[in-house]
Amino acid sequence: MNLLSTLLLDSIIAGVASTGFAVLFNVPAKTLPFCAFTSFLGYITHLVLLHLNLSPVVATFFASLIIGIVATIWSTKYSVPRPAYTVASILPMFPGKYAYLTIMALLEMSSKGISHELTTSFIQNSLTVVSIVGAISLGLVLPSLYFIRHDRPVI
Amino acid sequence: MNIMIYDEQVRATNAICDATLLMLEYGAESILVEQTSQRLGKALRIDSVELALLSSAIVITTFTNSQTQTVSISRRARDKPINMSMICDIQNLVKTFENSPSTVDILVERIKKIQVKTYNRWLVIFMVGVSCGCFSHLHGGDFGACLVTFSVAAFGVFVRQELSRKRFSAFTIFSLTPFLVTLIAATSQQILPLSSTPDIILVSAVLFLVPGFPFVNSFLDAIEGYMLMAWGRLLHASLLVIATSVGIVLALNILDLKAW
Repeated sequence: MNLLSTLLLDSIIAGVASTGFAVLFNVPAKTLPFCAFTSFLGYITHLVLLHLNLSPVVATFFASLIIGIVATIWSTKYSVPRPAYTVASILPMFPGKYAYLTIMALLEMSSKGISHELTTSFIQNSLTVVSIVGAISLGLVLPSLYFIRHDRPVI
Repeated sequence: MNIMIYDEQVRATNAICDATLLMLEYGAESILVEQTSQRLGKALRIDSVELALLSSAIVITTFTNSQTQTVSISRRARDKPINMSMICDIQNLVKTFENSPSTVDILVERIKKIQVKTYNRWLVIFMVGVSCGCFSHLHGGDFGACLVTFSVAAFGVFVRQELSRKRFSAFTIFSLTPFLVTLIAATSQQILPLSSTPDIILVSAVLFLVPGFPFVNSFLDAIEGYMLMAWGRLLHASLLVIATSVGIVLALNILDLKAW
């Protein structure tokens, strides 16, 4: 019960966070609730998969896959371009922490000199950043491959 | 066969070019940009519309009178802030015009009527501040971290709006803003330590500078076959990321953050 309420609360917070970013990109006001919902859906998938002991990369991939599918369906229904839903929704899963750790490792290497721990930290964190960003973009792009045909308009 | 006189075709091409250029400048994906021109052309009873897309320009050619009469127009595309409501408006215009096709003059009039809609700037500042506060909670920060992130990120958005109002280039905006944000977040933490997780503040407060739109658009373009646009957008996104990192690294170096 406690776990469930934490999951729900965190996902709702992720939804609120995405709405703020959608405002930054001037997404039309009637689309904002949909942005919040896609973000909620994606983040709760992400958290549940992490609790099932999957790696962050796989969890992020499936979460962004779900966001991509929902966004593609809604974009044809309401004629709003897909990125309007997806870009704000994936931001809670963006690996900002690892990117920051990468930069910190790089800075420390340049000031203190190269050591084994710093090199390990740099390579590990930068690999995590690259693979999570790759998982996000692959997950967002795959649904469009199915829904886009050359004989009909996208939205 | 319908005959179109040359002057009318020039005006039609200009109108299509205007709509297409707006789509490109405000950040639509390439397939939408191309389909805008082709759907409008079909509604105006033009035989075919061909479009060449570059990151900084478009070339548009229309064919009429059984492909015997052509008009080509090329136009420069400027870098403008992302605006999704603009793109939705043009998309709606294309749909309504397609359902009830009329003359070129009506299309020109409708395109002129489209205004750039933006949210109130204080609302944007507040909302992005709240978002960054939420992110700092999601990254595991305590309540103090959320509070500091909220105020620092709100200040960052204010700086970004002021800089873009003064027409600075994107590279300047994306390096100066994280520089100031990181500087202020770290200094405030040294003067008044509100949080026991200071790293989280630095991570979450600059998240509003992630270039999500160029990045996602670049991948969508790549799978749909617009390779040149995809490379252009990927380079744009990477440059912005590099600019942001330069700003953060400069601020961290000045403060010499090993101290805390």
